[in-house]
Amino acid sequence: MGLVVARQTAGLHECEVVGNGPDAKGIFLLRMRAEGLSRALAPGQFVNVAVPGDATQILRVPLSCSGILPDEGLVEISYAVVGDGTRRLSEVPVGTSLGVVGPCGHGWGPIEGKALLVAGGIGAAPIVCEARRLGVEGVPFDAALGAQSAARLWGEAALARAGAGEVLVATDDGSAGIAGFATLAAERLLAKGGYSCVLCCGPQPLMAAVAGLAGKAGVPCLVSLERMMSCGFGACCTCNVSLVGGRQASCCMDGPVFDASEVVW
Amino acid sequence: MSGVSMAVDLGGIRMANPIGTASGTFGCGRQFEGFYDVGRLGAITTKGCSAEPWNGNPAPRVCEVTSGIMNSVGLQNPGVREFVAHEGAYLSGLAERGCAVICQVVGHSIEEYASALELYEELAPFAAGFEVNISCPNVAAGGLAMGSTPERAAEVMRALRPLTRRPVLVKMAPSRVPETARALEDAGADALSLINTIPAMSIDVRTRRSRLSRPTAGLSGPLVHPIAVRMVWEAHNAVGIPINGIGGVMSGQDAAEFILAGATTVSVGTANLVQPDSAPRILAELERWAESQGVHDINELIGAFEC
Ligand SMILES: Cc1cc2nc3c(=O)[nH]c(=O)nc-3n(C[C@H](O)[C@H](O)[C@H](O)COP(=O)(O)OP(=O)(O)OC[C@H]3O[C@@H](n4cnc5c(N)ncnc54)[C@H](O)[C@@H]3O)c2cc1C
Ligand SMILES: Cc1cc2nc3c(=O)[nH]c(=O)nc-3n(C[C@H](O)[C@H](O)[C@H](O)COP(=O)(O)O)c2cc1C
Ligand code: FES
Repeated sequence: MGLVVARQTAGLHECEVVGNGPDAKGIFLLRMRAEGLSRALAPGQFVNVAVPGDATQILRVPLSCSGILPDEGLVEISYAVVGDGTRRLSEVPVGTSLGVVGPCGHGWGPIEGKALLVAGGIGAAPIVCEARRLGVEGVPFDAALGAQSAARLWGEAALARAGAGEVLVATDDGSAGIAGFATLAAERLLAKGGYSCVLCCGPQPLMAAVAGLAGKAGVPCLVSLERMMSCGFGACCTCNVSLVGGRQASCCMDGPVFDASEVVW
Repeated sequence: MSGVSMAVDLGGIRMANPIGTASGTFGCGRQFEGFYDVGRLGAITTKGCSAEPWNGNPAPRVCEVTSGIMNSVGLQNPGVREFVAHEGAYLSGLAERGCAVICQVVGHSIEEYASALELYEELAPFAAGFEVNISCPNVAAGGLAMGSTPERAAEVMRALRPLTRRPVLVKMAPSRVPETARALEDAGADALSLINTIPAMSIDVRTRRSRLSRPTAGLSGPLVHPIAVRMVWEAHNAVGIPINGIGGVMSGQDAAEFILAGATTVSVGTANLVQPDSAPRILAELERWAESQGVHDINELIGAFEC
C-alpha cells in the first residue's frame, strides 16, 4: 500500500479561529482560516496546535484534520475534550489567532478498490477526512463506526454524506446501532468480503483488534496511531513506534499512518 | 544589524554568535529549515550518537509538567556511521553556511565513547568540535554513571583527549558542579556544557504508575532555568575554560542571564520543540539586550554578573 507519500515540510502558520463549538457530547469542531495549510494538508496528516490560556503548559496538542477545504481556505479539526489542553482549546473564542505547526506526518496515501473504514470515538476525525476524499475520487467504501453512546457518536452523518455504501454503527451501551465495540461492526462488514483495504483509527485496543481481523481476512490494513509527542516534525525522538524486526519509527514523521502488519501491538 | 560584535570562541570553536541548539532537541538541524535559515545560528549540537545503534526506551517517552516537560528517549540513535551517511551532506553544507556543527558522542563505557569519537573523527570533517555526553539520566548502564563522580568524569575525558585535536566539550550532569568542572578542566576538556536534564519523576495517581515508560526521566524547560543559571555560575567560578549554558532558555533574557553568570555561549533546547522558530528570536533579543547594555562586544558581558 502507498505508505511512502511525498510530504511537505512542516511550517508555522497563524490560523484565525472562525468557529469552535460542540458537535456531539464531549466533542468539538474547530474551524480555522488557514489558506496555506488548507492547500498543503492531506487526509491522515495532523497539525500541532499551541493552545493559549496557560503559560505553564508548553506542549502543543497534536490533532488530525477532519476537514480540508482549500477552496474556502479552511481547515477543520474535530477533537474530544479529554484533559487540560483540549479543555482550554474548547474555550478559545472565534477571532483568536492560533499558532499551528504543520502539515505533520503523512496521510493515508492512494487507495484503490473498495475500502473499509473503521473508527472508534474521536478516531473518526482522520477517517471522515479520508472518506470525503474517497467520495470525491469515486472510490467505493463502507464504514464501521463505534462510540460509547448515541450522544457521543460523531461522524455518522458525515460518512453517509461523503458517499459511504453502508455505515454500520456500534455503541458500547447499545443506545445507537448494534450493541458492542466498533470491532464487532468491523467484523460483520469484513465478513461480507470484497474489500481491498481497511483503514482504522481509534483507541489502541480497537486498532490492534482490527489489524488482527484484517490480517485473518487477508486484507491489507492501515492504522493511524497516537503517541505522546512534543515537536511533531522529527526533531526529538519522543514519539517512537516499535516496528516488527526491532526498528523504531517516529509517529510524527514515519506515521501517524502505519501498515498495521509492521506495528508491534 | 546592531553595532555589537556577537562572535565568540567556545574553547576553539569559533561561532558567529553565542546562540546554539541543545543536543536531542534539534534533530540534525534539517528539520528546522522549514521555519528559518539554520545557518544564522552560532552552532548546532547533534543528537547523541554511539558507535552502534541504540533503540532507546519504550513509549511513552514524554509528558508535560508545570512549566516543563519530562523525557525518557534514552538516546535512541542510528549509530555514528548511519547518522553521517544520512546527514553528513546536510551538515557539511550547514558548516559552510557559517554555523558550527558540534557532534555529540555517547557510550555505555569508556571504550564505547572512544569508538564513537574515533568514528566521528574519521567520518565527520564538517564537525567543528565534539561534545561528550556523560550525563544522560536515561541509560541504565552508562549515562549518569559515567558523569556521576568527578573522578569518573575525568577518566572519560582523559581517555578521549588523545583521540582528536578538535575541541572537546563535556556535557555535565546537574550535580557536584564545581568539583566535576575542575576535574574535567584538569583532564583536558576545552569547554563545558551544562546542564543536561534533571532526573525527576511524575506519577499518574490514578494508575499509580509512572507517566512515562520508566520510573525516572529527565526534566527540562523553563522550570529548570534558575537552577541551570546557578550551576553555570558555580562552574564559571571554578574553572577558566569557557562554558556553554543550557537549561530552560525561552527568551533572550534567559540567554542573557547565562552570559552574565559566566556562559560564553547558550544552547536552546526544549524551546525548539514547543516553538520551532525560538532560536533566531532569542538571538535577536540577546543582541538587543547587549546593545542596551552599551557594549561593543558581547564578550564584555560574559561573567559580568555583579554580586
Ligand atoms: C497524530 C495524532 C493525531 C491526533 N488527532 C486527534 C484528533 O483529531 N482529535 C482528538 O480529539 N484527539 C486527537 N489526538 C489526541 C490528542 O492529541 C490528545 O487527546 C490531546 O493531546 C490531549 O491533551 P490534553 O492536554 O487535553 O490531555 P492531557 O491532560 O494531556 O491527557 C488526557 C488524556 O489524554 C491522553 N493523551 C495526551 N496526549 C496524547 C497524545 N498525544 N496522544 C494520545 N493521547 C494523549 C493522556 O494519556 C490522558 O489519558 C491525536 C493525537 C496524535 C498523536
Ligand atoms: C527530547 C529531549 C531529548 C534530549 N536528548 C539529549 C541528548 O541526546 N543528549 C544530551 O546531552 N542532552 C539531551 N537532552 C537534554 C538537552 O540537550 C538539554 O540539556 C536539556 O533539555 C536542558 O535544556 P532545555 O531546558 O532548554 O531543554 C534532551 C532533551 C530533550 C527534551
Ligand atoms: S514528536 Fe518530535 S520526533 Fe516526533
